[in-house]
Amino acid sequence: MSTLHVLSHSPFGNDRLSSCLRVIGANDALLLSGDAAYALQPGTAPFTTLQARSLKLFVLGEDAQARALEVPDWAKAIDYPAFVELSIHYDKVNSWL
Amino acid sequence: MKFAIALFSAAHAPSSRRALLFAQAALAGGHEIVRLFFYQDGVYNASGSVVTPQDEQDLPKQWRNFVSEHQLDGVVCIAAALRRGVLNEEEAQRYQREAVAVGAPWELSGLGQLHDAVQDADRLICFGGA
Repeated sequence: MSTLHVLSHSPFGNDRLSSCLRVIGANDALLLSGDAAYALQPGTAPFTTLQARSLKLFVLGEDAQARALEVPDWAKAIDYPAFVELSIHYDKVNSWL
Repeated sequence: MKFAIALFSAAHAPSSRRALLFAQAALAGGHEIVRLFFYQDGVYNASGSVVTPQDEQDLPKQWRNFVSEHQLDGVVCIAAALRRGVLNEEEAQRYQREAVAVGAPWELSGLGQLHDAVQDADRLICFGGA
């Protein structure tokens, strides 16, 4: 059983990212959308944490672009068709509302 | 692949736009949406009373067009809608209110419709929050 975790809140306003990282499994993946993309801001604690974890990490490309965030090589920028395909590839989608 | 999509956020929230873009991409990819369920503040996306500033995306209108064009099953949680004043003709009459905010293609119904959609679908995708 694998899960795609979807975050949309900024990692600087609440604990969703750290809670997610606590429960995320080896077969799971994480998709950053909306303000959650700020986790890719270099030099910040969320960035360092994500960099240190070898997660399957995705970010909605337009959400990163809208925030002038460069996507590091350990994350993958995706579009909506790829989001749909990811949601099929993983058994369940868990949105951290 | 059959999707059930639940939306929890108001029309002006970015997550509502993401839900619409996901739904559009799902259909474009040849997949099926068994039901759209608008819950909590998501009911505002079905409101015909929302006036969106001209330089912003008119999500309620885009949802309405999307649901109509593809003849989707768009269900608005009735309890969530009542407490937010998003009434259809029938409920406005029942509770003697003047404002009718919801009409076709939307249907007001209960939370059981979400449960039912999840049983039928291969995937439930929820959008909400920020």
